[in-house]
Amino acid sequence: MTEYLYYLLLGLGAAFCAYRAMISKHLLPSTLYLACVSALASITLYLLGAQEVAVIELSVGAGLVTVLLVYVLSVVGDDNLDPTSIIPKPLAFVLVATITILVAWMAFPLVTSPSTTPEVTLAQVLWKHRALDVWVQVALIFSGVMGVLGLLSEKEHKIEIQKESIPVAAELKKESHV
Amino acid sequence: MTAILIGFVIGVPWLGALILWRTSDENPRLQHTLAAAFSIAAGFFSLALIFFSSAETAVDIPMGAFFGSLTFTPDGLAVALTAIACVIGSLAVVFSVDYMKGEAQLSRYYTFVLLFIGAMAGLVLSGSLLFMFFFWEITALCSYALISFYNDDPKAVAGGIKALIITQVGGVGLLAGALITYSTLGTYQISALLENAGTIPANLLAFVAFGFLIAAAAKSAQFPFHTWLPDAMEAPTPISALIHAATMVNAGVYLLARFYPAFEQVPGWALSVTVVGLVSALITAFMALTATDLKRALAYSTVSQLGYMVYAIGVGGFFASQFHLLSHAVFKALLFLAAGAVIHAAGTRDMRRMGALGKQMPFVRNVFVLGALALAGLPILNGFWSKELILEVGLADGPIWAYVGMLLGAGMTAFYTLRMTWLVFFGEARESLHVHDAGSAMKTSLGLLAVGTLSTWLLAGPFIGLFHATLPFHSIHELSTLELVEEIFSAPATYIALTVVCLGLGIFWFFRKQAAAGKEARFDILSRESFGFDWLNRQVTSITFKVATVLQETQTGKLNWNVVGILGALLVVLVFLLWSA
Amino acid sequence: MNFDPLNAVLIGVILLLAVGFYGLLITRNLIKIVLVLQVLVKAVVIALVLAGKDSGNLGLGQSIAATVIVADTIVAVVALALAVQVRIRVGTLDLSKISSLRG
Repeated sequence: MTEYLYYLLLGLGAAFCAYRAMISKHLLPSTLYLACVSALASITLYLLGAQEVAVIELSVGAGLVTVLLVYVLSVVGDDNLDPTSIIPKPLAFVLVATITILVAWMAFPLVTSPSTTPEVTLAQVLWKHRALDVWVQVALIFSGVMGVLGLLSEKEHKIEIQKESIPVAAELKKESHV
Repeated sequence: MTAILIGFVIGVPWLGALILWRTSDENPRLQHTLAAAFSIAAGFFSLALIFFSSAETAVDIPMGAFFGSLTFTPDGLAVALTAIACVIGSLAVVFSVDYMKGEAQLSRYYTFVLLFIGAMAGLVLSGSLLFMFFFWEITALCSYALISFYNDDPKAVAGGIKALIITQVGGVGLLAGALITYSTLGTYQISALLENAGTIPANLLAFVAFGFLIAAAAKSAQFPFHTWLPDAMEAPTPISALIHAATMVNAGVYLLARFYPAFEQVPGWALSVTVVGLVSALITAFMALTATDLKRALAYSTVSQLGYMVYAIGVGGFFASQFHLLSHAVFKALLFLAAGAVIHAAGTRDMRRMGALGKQMPFVRNVFVLGALALAGLPILNGFWSKELILEVGLADGPIWAYVGMLLGAGMTAFYTLRMTWLVFFGEARESLHVHDAGSAMKTSLGLLAVGTLSTWLLAGPFIGLFHATLPFHSIHELSTLELVEEIFSAPATYIALTVVCLGLGIFWFFRKQAAAGKEARFDILSRESFGFDWLNRQVTSITFKVATVLQETQTGKLNWNVVGILGALLVVLVFLLWSA
Repeated sequence: MNFDPLNAVLIGVILLLAVGFYGLLITRNLIKIVLVLQVLVKAVVIALVLAGKDSGNLGLGQSIAATVIVADTIVAVVALALAVQVRIRVGTLDLSKISSLRG
């Protein structure tokens, strides 16, 4: 019963932090809230028994992604106020609520079906059974690095945010001040 | 061996298409040579295939449970049409060497021509309904691409789109029929359909039968789908000769002929086929009487002759219709190519501006006259034998009113044929056009086709023999050529028809001075508008475009709306899952 | 009501998913989209491990979850690089202005 309560609190906390991350007007608080979500998720994973993934999640989510986002914010500037959404809020709410209710209806209650295969450790699975996954991850990381290098290759010149760089940008800026 | 030949017949043109796609337009000589070489090779392979014809499936490649097997059956009907497609295709390509000299983007042209030839061979050889539909769609694509070849001319593009929309509507009928067959019989194989047509429930069989009839009528430009073919004359003339006279429009007739044994038991089907053929033949013969554009008149004439073939199938004359298909392919290709030579030299398609060109273009005049006589149905030429056979079968087995209509059509055919010939090559020159005779490549094709016009009727006996040996479901009795000749000369129908033809020729001769008169009478406007059907087509096209414009509003380009679409789809899937659980 | 603790985790997962979908619909800022996608992925990771635990095959669940984390982090990195470029060249991060791929 206490376990149930812990999980429930962790889940609710994570959802709350995610909501705050989404709602907030400036991006820096959003990033911090995302780090909180990551931390809470990591604790959940640890309690579920997946220690290795918990560590990965914490270091990647609360570490790497947060640092990355902060760096990008420093380059881009945090001056964009978030205007109202294009989609009418009631529509979005109804859509999401319906999907949530349907998924909850289909998913609950969780039936524990005992597995027939013998329990294997993560190490065995990762390096033997699903070794192909590891190769795929290597390829992904490689291509991601290449992509980023290609995208950000103009780092030789100082990156200035040219506010009036092209006439298009000027016109768009004019529009957004309406 | 047969399988290899079939592979070559389809594969060689397609390989040529692939290679020509990659050749540069800087080297037109290479393009002309390659195209001619590949198409002539395909022609030879298709002729060789005739000797290996049999009723058994030559190629059988299983494509998984969903698609059935890819089969090719080289029976008599298939190899005959393949030979027509490939041989006339090669002659049209050889003609193009002269006709398209100096034109731009030849690689696009030849790629689509070769792709078309291979696809047409695949269509008639195919033994599976699904793959026949696949080849059918490829021919429709090539036809559209070639009609709109001069894509900076809005009329050409409009003509191409019109052809595409109408033939695709027909294609739906074919697909529906194929799917119904699959769901009732469990297989797409044509032989299975022909054998077990009786086991399909009657109403479903009627759906399949009429669906195929719609597909055939749309593809062969029969009534009520006859409006796309005259507008398709914006294509370069070798294309008009190949696709819109000799091969693709025959696909509809082929469809009806192939499935006739399965569908004759459907009440009202044979009568509908007869009526469709009759109305098409008459209505377009009317329109050809007053046409002023040379290619348009030939287009009307094509639809009219196809009406004869469809009529023949309706009254049960399977061999008569296929024999006329062979004759028509040869002489109509001849007429179109000769018209192409005239148009290329004179620079105009308007017959009212031509006149007395025969003195300056003797070779073209001679072959055109030969083709025209075959079209009118004068003895010795191949058109005569096949048309008489159709009329004979019509008199014996068909309703008498239909026979009278077709007889009238024969008279009108003679009239407009003589009118066309007279206006272009004889009489007085209305404008002083300076023309030269055809080039050597053109002369080769024209000469070979002229020889064919004189001689293909001699193949009647072996033709019937081939059908008898390889088509088990169509009941065909064997005759030799000599017996056929005797039969035709001894039938009273022949003499009645000859009288009507001479009457038609005579009436025109009487009125020949007024033939080139200037003003367009009300009747001409009516026939130009295809008796109101053109208006219907324009409505369909404009509605399609309006719906497309409205639907474009859903592509907003904004991410949030796209996500709404994704989540909406997710919602639908979840509801579906819940409902079925 | 079944008080199996795993159900509580399921509640958390579904709530995170709901928040994530809502965010995708509402957000107009390119960088916030990346943030929302991260939230969604966390929900998926928890769900994967939960499924592994539930069927007894925790090793498999963890392995797949690790792969998903790697893949998604790469996506976030490249998306952020793209966002920087968009900001430099177009001058704005507003999604409703970056919609020329339409029609």
